[in-house]
Amino acid sequence: MEKIRNTFANLLFKLGKKDKKIIVIVGDISHGIFKNFRESFKDRYFNIGICEPSMVNISAGLSKLKLIPVVHTIAPFLIERSYEQIKLDFGYQKLGINLVSVGGSFDYSKLGCSHHSYSDVSLISHIKNSNIVIPASPLEFQILFKKIYKKNMINYFRLPDNNHGIKIEKRKIIFGKSVKIRSGNKLTICVTGPYLKNVLEAEEKLNLKGKIDILYFHTIKPFDSKSVLKSVKKTKKLITIEDLSAQGGIYNLCVNSCHEVNNIITKQIAIKDFIHSYGSFDDLKKKAGLDTQSIMNIINNL
Amino acid sequence: MILNKDLRIKIVELIFNAKEGHLPSSLSIVDIINVLYSKILKFNAKNINSLNRDYFILSKGHGCVAFYVVLEKFNIIKKKDLLKYGSKNSILGGHPDCTQIPGVESSTGSLGHGFPTAVGVSLGLNIQKKKNKVYCLLGDGECQEGTIWEAANIATNRKLSNICSIIDWNGSAKQLMPIENIAAKWKAFGWNVHLADGHNEKDLVKKFNLFLKNKNQKPTVIIAKTIKGKGIPFMQGHGKWHHKVPNLEELKLIKKILKNGKN
Repeated sequence: MEKIRNTFANLLFKLGKKDKKIIVIVGDISHGIFKNFRESFKDRYFNIGICEPSMVNISAGLSKLKLIPVVHTIAPFLIERSYEQIKLDFGYQKLGINLVSVGGSFDYSKLGCSHHSYSDVSLISHIKNSNIVIPASPLEFQILFKKIYKKNMINYFRLPDNNHGIKIEKRKIIFGKSVKIRSGNKLTICVTGPYLKNVLEAEEKLNLKGKIDILYFHTIKPFDSKSVLKSVKKTKKLITIEDLSAQGGIYNLCVNSCHEVNNIITKQIAIKDFIHSYGSFDDLKKKAGLDTQSIMNIINNL
Repeated sequence: MILNKDLRIKIVELIFNAKEGHLPSSLSIVDIINVLYSKILKFNAKNINSLNRDYFILSKGHGCVAFYVVLEKFNIIKKKDLLKYGSKNSILGGHPDCTQIPGVESSTGSLGHGFPTAVGVSLGLNIQKKKNKVYCLLGDGECQEGTIWEAANIATNRKLSNICSIIDWNGSAKQLMPIENIAAKWKAFGWNVHLADGHNEKDLVKKFNLFLKNKNQKPTVIIAKTIKGKGIPFMQGHGKWHHKVPNLEELKLIKKILKNGKN
């Protein structure tokens, strides 16, 4: 399956042919995959330099002129380093931008903590005029990007390096809605990112098919609270699985969705600190407790 | 000579009434903004968002009272709105908000933001192959922010000859970092550099015209020598007046000085 990052570049090339307002700005990454866009639309592609806050800030000037900036680099630099620019130049000024990151969480596992980002989603969520999408399949990116990129809002697309690999029907991929992957009465699992695959593996190994509600979230903001509430009312048990900060990810959103339900048991798998290691993505995933066995353990101990 | 005494008196009265404002900074830049709106900038007060307009961004947002009085002078904002400055439900506050104020292109306040936005507008105009000009007024203290130099670098590398920055060189920066060399720095970043007297209309117009007639592909900066608190001797320079509001006695004295024209 194609990498989502490649899908991003290919889709932008396709959209850029018709939509002359699209301006791509990259912070010295992804030149290879943007070759077609770069060579075809020379005046709308900028490898701007190593200056992320200004890369974001100048995009406010483009947005003022009704152009559509698509700004792309690694999550910690695009969001955390440039947060004041996003907050003030776009949030306060009510301007639109498409922020597209790679390297969220520990995707750049061999490069160490300087290249990790866990609070990016939480940070963007604080700004009223924002949308957040974590498309963990090429199809999700295609559908959701096309749906919202023209909105005069802060559209944050966090592209995971790994696909979840699960086939989801096109009609079920709806911006702002979760996808019901499985139905059951015993437990609700809410998951985002590539870890959907691990959740389904855990379900199979534990013979829980038909017993668990599995809700998959490609859109974090706006959050599909209704589906969580409906499920948790039924199961009274909730596990959330994410590689986002434990202080501001889908656990908080899910729990906030369920205030009216009493006596719920909840468990959160999220990132409480840096994953302070080098290694493969799978190595760090295991360390973060996001691998299949760790998910099985959590389910068994609930 | 003290220019724009009427505007200066308005600035002082507004800040006195609102009990808020950066008075010396406003007096440092009011002559520059007035020259821009009276002689240089293309705009239509009746259609302030016209696509043919030139863009002006006040990057040092704390000097905004000077901006407000000029906007009112040129009928871009209403007198009744100006008089409400700093009060509840006013569109005008201690830093400008572009979502509320006609003619304000960027909400500034946090230093180092307005200038990169202006560079972005310049880049966008180039992409759109439009001839509009972009003017951006920065503080010399603001030039200690890293984003100023990031954006200056971008402007040079993208050959943005449609932007003219003006540095309000009132010596604020030097208080903190005495090794200044401001002209040399902008020159090193590849900008056309012109020095000007920021309180001399004729000189400012001359330097703006150098920008307008420029044929090379470089962006232009005018480093305008100014005096913080210009026009009020006991306020000039640096110190307690940076964010101080005059009391009634001081207000009377300031107005007397300005009316009598003593420098």
